[in-house]
Amino acid sequence: MAGLVTSASIVVPDKMLEGAGITVVHDEVTAVDSQRKKVETSTGGTLAYDKLYLATGARSFVPPIEGSDLDGVLTLRGVPDAERIREVLDRSKNGKIVCIGAGFISMEVASLLAEKPGSAFAITVVELLDRPLPLMLDRDMAAFVKQYLEEKGLHILTGERVERLVGRNGKVVGVELASGVVLDADLVFMNVGVRPNVGLAQSIGLEMGRFGIKVNEFQETSDPDILAGGDCVEKINFLTGKPTPGQLRGPAVVQGRLAAKRLAGYSVAFPGVIDAGGCKMFDMTIAATGLTEERAAQEGIATVSAVVDSRSKHGMIPGVRPWKIKLVFNRDNQRLIGGQIVSYDIAPAREIDAVSAFILGGRTIAELTTFTSACNPDISSEPSAEPITIAAEQALQKIGR
Amino acid sequence: MKDGEKLVIVGCSGSGGPAAMMAKKLMPSVDVTVIRKEEFFIVR
Repeated sequence: MAGLVTSASIVVPDKMLEGAGITVVHDEVTAVDSQRKKVETSTGGTLAYDKLYLATGARSFVPPIEGSDLDGVLTLRGVPDAERIREVLDRSKNGKIVCIGAGFISMEVASLLAEKPGSAFAITVVELLDRPLPLMLDRDMAAFVKQYLEEKGLHILTGERVERLVGRNGKVVGVELASGVVLDADLVFMNVGVRPNVGLAQSIGLEMGRFGIKVNEFQETSDPDILAGGDCVEKINFLTGKPTPGQLRGPAVVQGRLAAKRLAGYSVAFPGVIDAGGCKMFDMTIAATGLTEERAAQEGIATVSAVVDSRSKHGMIPGVRPWKIKLVFNRDNQRLIGGQIVSYDIAPAREIDAVSAFILGGRTIAELTTFTSACNPDISSEPSAEPITIAAEQALQKIGR
Repeated sequence: MKDGEKLVIVGCSGSGGPAAMMAKKLMPSVDVTVIRKEEFFIVR
C-alpha cells in the first residue's frame, strides 16, 4: 500500500511451490466429503486426499453499524484490499480520512497515509478503548505513542464509540460518534479485527472452539485425517492456558510447519501463543509480547512491573535514539509474563524476542537480574544500563527479599 | 504419511504455504497439492 514493494513480492509465489514439486490449483474449495476423503471445487473439480490441511485464514471484521457498506469505506486484509486503497488514494491527494480502531494495522495505515508524498490528508483515528494499541500496550506506554502520533499530525480520539457512518448518494461523508460528534470523512478505514474463515470446517462437521476450529497441540482436528492451522484455528494462550484467537503470522507459519512434521511422523507439540507482535509508525517502532498489566488483572494475576528508559547506543556514540521497555512479572511466582517496547529506533525493538524467550523459559525476576546482553557501543547501550536487567532490578526492589 | 499418499492443503497464505513446503521437504514421495482461492495474500 505504501508502494515500497510489489504485490508479488509479499506472497507465497506459485513458482516457489511448483519448483519444490508441489501442485498448485487456483480454485475455491466448496465442499469436503470427509467420508470419501474428497474435496470439491467451484469449477466442478474433485481431488482425493489421504490427509487434508485446512489453512483458510481469516477475514476483516466489519461491525454491523449503519453505513458500513457505503462507497469509500475500506478494510485492509489482503493484497486486493491494498491495491483498491492505492487506487482510491492515487485519485485524491488530500481530504479527510477517518480510521476506525487503533490496533496496529489501523495505526500503520494512518501513518503511511500521513507520510504519503505529495499528499495532505487530515487523519483522525477513533478508538473505543482509552488508548492506541490497547491490546499491545498498557496505558503508561501507550501515552508516549499517543503523544508522538499527535506531534506527527494525527488526531487521535480515544474512548469514543462509532454510532454510524453517514452517507450521501451512496458515498461515505462522515462518521457519527456516540457522543454526538460528527467527523467529516472522504474515506473511512475500518480495521477492528478479523474473524476466522470456518465455513468449510463447519460444513464438514469439525469440532469448533470459541475462536475457530478446535485443534490439539499437533494441529489435529476432530477428524483424524484433517489437520488445520493459522488464523482459522483457535489457539491456547501459553500463559493463561485459555483459548484465544492468536491471529498473527508467527503462529500461522509455525503451525503449518508443525502440521507437516506431524504428518511426517514427528511429535513436536505447539506450546501455545504469547501474542508477540510489532508495528512501525513513522520513526517509532512498537513491540509487545505476553500479557499487559491490564490483561493480567483481567485474568486475576497480581503483577509487579518496571519501566526503564534506555538508548539505542552507548551514550558516547553519535546518533543515540531513546527507547523504553516495560516488563510485567507475576507477583506470586515472580515469573516474567509480559514485555512492551516503544523505540525511536528499529533495532532495540528486537529485544522483545529476548523477552519472549524468557517468558517461554519461565524465567523469574531474580534470574533476569543476572542477564547480560551482547554489548557493543554502536549497537547497544552500555552493559550497566541493559534495560531488561535494570527492569528486573527495579521489580526485585519492589517486591523485597 | 506413506509413499504416494495425497496431501491436499486448502489455502496458501501464512500457514498453507509453509505447510506445503515443509511437507514436501520431509516427505518427498508424498503428492502435495495446494488449492488457493486468491493469488495474493498479506498476513501479519
